[in-house]
Amino acid sequence: MTMLHVEKLAKVYTRGRFSRVPTFSLEADFEVASPQIIGVMGPNGSGKTTLFELITGSNAPTSGRVMAMGQDIHKVRYRQRCQLAMHYHQSYQVRSFQRRVPEFLLEPARCEAPAIHLFDEPQFNPQDGYIGFMLDFFRRLRSEGKLVFVCLHPNEPYHVELLREVCERFIFVNKGRLLQAASLQELKAHDAFNAYLGRLAAEI
Amino acid sequence: MSQPLLKAEGLAKRFGDRVVLQDVGLEVEEGEIHGIMGPNGAGKTTFFHVLTGQHKPDAGRVTFRGEDITGLAPREIACRGIARSFQLMNLFDDETALVNTMVATPEMRARGFDLFSDAARLEAATERAQRALADVGLEHQASARAKGLSYGERRALEIGVALASDPKLLFLDEPTAGLGAEGTERIAKLIGSLRRKVTIVLIEHDMRFLFGLADRIAVVHWGQVIARGTPEALRANPWVQRSSLAA
Repeated sequence: MTMLHVEKLAKVYTRGRFSRVPTFSLEADFEVASPQIIGVMGPNGSGKTTLFELITGSNAPTSGRVMAMGQDIHKVRYRQRCQLAMHYHQSYQVRSFQRRVPEFLLEPARCEAPAIHLFDEPQFNPQDGYIGFMLDFFRRLRSEGKLVFVCLHPNEPYHVELLREVCERFIFVNKGRLLQAASLQELKAHDAFNAYLGRLAAEI
Repeated sequence: MSQPLLKAEGLAKRFGDRVVLQDVGLEVEEGEIHGIMGPNGAGKTTFFHVLTGQHKPDAGRVTFRGEDITGLAPREIACRGIARSFQLMNLFDDETALVNTMVATPEMRARGFDLFSDAARLEAATERAQRALADVGLEHQASARAKGLSYGERRALEIGVALASDPKLLFLDEPTAGLGAEGTERIAKLIGSLRRKVTIVLIEHDMRFLFGLADRIAVVHWGQVIARGTPEALRANPWVQRSSLAA
């Protein structure tokens, strides 16, 4: 079974009540079969957090679906979605759901503990040494068979370094579109990624 | 194997959308100094509040000497021999260091604040309070008003107040908060001198401080314990090595 299948997923935000004008759209289509640590990068407002919200079932897609451990996460009971995918916001866990359907119409989660862990912009401070414990924690989750996403907006050389140290795959989110690569070098072939990294491109 | 003095299992605590603790456990052995550390906002203080009764957990269990104390009021927990200090200090400013310490003693607790009803009891309380003040190096300041003490002395006095209750287990929440290098050093010495006299759970953001004092440390982040170990084992981490702690 595929751990995570993001299937032709789209989220469109619009403005205006009658003639809806799209202001932002995110599209994603990818699959992860086995435990991994995936680094997610992208400028502010590019759609990183929206992507995480769609995967954890806290934000409803306009079209497409998210299959987490074989279950469409948006059809799972709200309070049990964290048994499939967990969203970590900086230093705590988030359970925020738009409750549109009564809980009893939704299906129970088929997992006890979440298999997918999404870390949204953890605060990495090189001064205090906590980075090492966080990276070890990601590795431990992976060794326990979990899928880990680490979202980070690199603006210091050590950010690039820690991404390279811990991640096995990368996703670059830019203007609502995803670029995927097995290494930072591979991403570097794209002009948009280079422009995003700026002076840090020299670190790769 | 002997049971731990304090044991927490499966603790969970949530505030609205935020899950601050999720399935957290801790074991504190008698006589040790057990550190809890984590980055700012990681849930250290919430963890502390759940262990000491300020917050009732949504799930999980806390046992002290084998007795379930989950969700008991702070006062009931205190009566079982658990004392705590606060990140923000609680002292009677207009009273002397000795009186501040005396009101915490078991002798006074038994009789409330009626100081003159029992001379023998008063004497015992005074003795115990003086011992507690000596333990924190404030015996020479016994008759000074709390508000007249330096910030560092007030921090020490707070620990003295906690000690005067004759606890089996002492919780200290960021005892060095607001202190400079010298004050921190002094508190570190003080806490080190209490080792084996009383079991201590010490919450700190400052890793260097904890590394020098704790027997074992739990690292709390994202509502979980993300790492555990001795200071030596945790210090060996390459990212800790290259941080400002390496010096």
